[in-house]
Amino acid sequence: MTSDENVNSTNEEETSEVEVVDSLEDTIWPLINRVLSSVDVTPERGSIDLITRIPRTDIIRALQILKNNEEVQFNYLRCLTAVDNESEGVDVVYHLYSIPKNINLTVKTNLPVEDKAIGTATEVWEAANWLERETAEMFGIKFNNHPDPRTLLMPEDMTDTFPLLKSHPFAEIEILQGELLGYDRETQGDDE
Amino acid sequence: MSNGIYGIEIAWLDAVIRLHIIVGLMTVVVMGLIYVERKILARFQQRLGPTRTGPAGLLQSVADGLKLVGKEDLRPRNADPWTFELAPYMVFIPVFLGFVIVPFAFGMQVRILELGLIYFVATSSLGIIGWVMAGWGSDNRYAMIGGMRAAAQGISYELPLVLSLISVAMVSESYNLNDIVLSQSTYPNLLWQPLVLVIFIIAGLAELNRTPFDIPVGESEVVGGPFVEYSGIRWSFFFLAEYAALFIMGLIFAAVFMGGWAWPLGEELGRGWQILLVTIKTSLFIFLVFWIRASVPRLRIDQLMSFSWKILLPLAFLQVLINGAVLVYEAPLWILTITGMLGIVVLVRLIERAVRPQPVTNESTVSIGNESVS
Amino acid sequence: MVVESTPGFETQDLLINVGPQHPSTHGVFRMVLEVDGEIVKDLVPHIGYLHRGAEKLCENNDFRQGVGYMDRTEYLASHNAELSYVMAVEALAELEVPERAQWIRMILCELNRLSSHFMFLGAFGVDVGVFGTPFIYAWREREAIIDLFEEISGDRMMYAYFRAGGLAWEVPGNFEERVREVLVSTRQGMKDFDNLLTRNEIFLARTKNVGIISAEDAVELGMSGPTLRASGVSLDIRKAEPYMYYDQIDFDVPVGTNGDVFDRYLVRLKEMEQSVHIIEQCLARLDDGPIMPERMPRMLRLPEDQEIYVRTEAPRGEYGIYLVSKGGNKPWRLKVRSACLSNLQALKKMSVGQYVADAIIILGSIDIVLSEVDR
Repeated sequence: MTSDENVNSTNEEETSEVEVVDSLEDTIWPLINRVLSSVDVTPERGSIDLITRIPRTDIIRALQILKNNEEVQFNYLRCLTAVDNESEGVDVVYHLYSIPKNINLTVKTNLPVEDKAIGTATEVWEAANWLERETAEMFGIKFNNHPDPRTLLMPEDMTDTFPLLKSHPFAEIEILQGELLGYDRETQGDDE
Repeated sequence: MSNGIYGIEIAWLDAVIRLHIIVGLMTVVVMGLIYVERKILARFQQRLGPTRTGPAGLLQSVADGLKLVGKEDLRPRNADPWTFELAPYMVFIPVFLGFVIVPFAFGMQVRILELGLIYFVATSSLGIIGWVMAGWGSDNRYAMIGGMRAAAQGISYELPLVLSLISVAMVSESYNLNDIVLSQSTYPNLLWQPLVLVIFIIAGLAELNRTPFDIPVGESEVVGGPFVEYSGIRWSFFFLAEYAALFIMGLIFAAVFMGGWAWPLGEELGRGWQILLVTIKTSLFIFLVFWIRASVPRLRIDQLMSFSWKILLPLAFLQVLINGAVLVYEAPLWILTITGMLGIVVLVRLIERAVRPQPVTNESTVSIGNESVS
Repeated sequence: MVVESTPGFETQDLLINVGPQHPSTHGVFRMVLEVDGEIVKDLVPHIGYLHRGAEKLCENNDFRQGVGYMDRTEYLASHNAELSYVMAVEALAELEVPERAQWIRMILCELNRLSSHFMFLGAFGVDVGVFGTPFIYAWREREAIIDLFEEISGDRMMYAYFRAGGLAWEVPGNFEERVREVLVSTRQGMKDFDNLLTRNEIFLARTKNVGIISAEDAVELGMSGPTLRASGVSLDIRKAEPYMYYDQIDFDVPVGTNGDVFDRYLVRLKEMEQSVHIIEQCLARLDDGPIMPERMPRMLRLPEDQEIYVRTEAPRGEYGIYLVSKGGNKPWRLKVRSACLSNLQALKKMSVGQYVADAIIILGSIDIVLSEVDR
């Protein structure tokens, strides 16, 4: 009972297979499918919101459609972030909300480890500006044509190390100071 | 003055002694004022104020003073040495020069000047130079903005202040503060000049850089303005000047509008009573200033300027013209009371018209879908 | 930058650095103002001075420990921050929160909204230039609420009272009376504030038509909370997507008309009245019962490959938690969607062309908490 029930999907079942697409009839998937007919979209049932996976080549175009289409009007970018899936690359996650229609959508796109570049969502929502700056500095993602590609939270010169990547050690500072503090660098690995 | 203090007849020696008394007195008064302000403000804010130093915190100002004297006198490396270090005195000296003419009781002033009011206005506006020097010399951008603001504000509000004093001088038919006080022994000037009283208080607040006109020192914007780089004894000179100016403004208010020592008990009073009367009237003004400080926000610089030039100055001019007409044609003085009251109404209306609250509704101006959710 | 204002007379714009140590930056925010006289021509915000890597820390601590970090991201409304987090964990762990715990959570969150808004009112009063009075007024009321929180959780700021599944422990026996007491003083405090500032001419002159942002811009910039509603967008997550029992509660969403600083102030003041109203209804519905689910696992483990984005209406706007689980007792990724970060993006748009003094009160009207911005 903790989650929104009036929204668009239920949180009862666990689904993971693509073949369950048909069972997404109770969600906003049919609507999204219609709107994004020109884009390659893979739906997935999320805990409360519908999750769609869109390839990164189409992502900005898809977001433009989602924002400007009269039927959905996703005019509000709730959140933009990324998830490091280690060998499977980095997922960039957009949480969209439509104020007029009161529907939510999670859009995900996968970036391979070796080429973490994607178009910038600032072309779609201005709100993406700082969120992308933060995501870029935390995950090393390059947002092409970003209007203001400085760091946001990190120091200006900290552009070579990305703290929220799983490969970044939890206790970096301690390790860097380790030699001075007399710790052994090897024993102070990742806290995992 | 024919009979000098302590029977000293040498004019310059007499003046020097009187000035010394004043300066000594002032330091005590300023310390008292700081203590009183802290206590009064604390009361407005449901606090206790200073309680620890001495009985009821009475020695707080002494402690503050000692601390300030003990602090290092810092000067930023890029500051202009002469401008920076002389600025506190440039603020401080004009304020104390003003004390030359202020009457505490009959015969209790340094000198009776025929152009006393003019002298007061002239000296008090000199202080602006010190503010600008402090702002410019500190090599700090907050300080510079503060200094510029102080200059703009000081010059703008000097005019309504002068005009308001001139209006009173017209009614009292003298610039001599002693004569002005004596002319009010039956009716105080505030009865004839209510509008001018309001203008004087507003312009006085601005001259003193007090809330709501504390724009040059605005703590939340320019972090103390011209004082931002000062510390220790130099900073305390600014502080001293600020409170001394407040006190002198209160004394002028008492003398010019409230009838000084003469009203309401007549001019034949004993000196002790006279001093008490002046003290009460001065305290009234000072309390008003503290009260305003505790309750109203700060104006913005453009609002401050337009208020002075567009509202206060025309009204002050108008009052001067009306005064002239009434006095030339020897019409009864109560006409001035009525026009003054009308002027206050106009003033309030003008302020009200400038700002009018709008209600916040529960209605959305942007279309929003989910009306079904309850 | 050199601008030509009058032919033959060159003026230079002045760069002023405001913060990170400045009385009005509400913490360690820094902005560089480019001013022409008193007019702000450009504004460059700098944040990150309070970045502590809460997200990374949470990835390396189990779900129980994460609550503490959430407190510290939003230290003026810790209950609201905890709420998003525990709701996310509960949703993924499929924990059924007992009814009593939900009602108590609602009461505490609304009380926290009150205390946070009092903090705003006080700080805003000082920004506008009243010497201390509104601050002390607000502090008095906030103190009463904080005292109540202390009685409940043992802490005055970082409560860590919510748990995934319910609450850490039962509230004190006199909880209801104490809440009612606090509400009485809160009502009085709001009235005092209304009398002190709302109709003050100088206050109106300073805040009306200053820092206007249109509804479209506000939505475009992802603003949320009272700052968005002041612009006329009636987006309140408690209404739009009710969580807990907000759908059973009757309350209004105050909405501004102008989107200026004054509206942002008034919307908050009106919102506090609604919060008091909500708490009263919650108190009426509060029943005895358990505060934790009957069967709680000793170590909370979430299923694999699950993710959730939980958003709640915190005092400053949408406080979202994006939680990705790949099994185990730690989050794989935890993103805190900060309302202030998004609101702060609008600062430049609101401030350019205004006076320096206005830039300060515009910043104050956004009501930022730097720990939430930087996390």
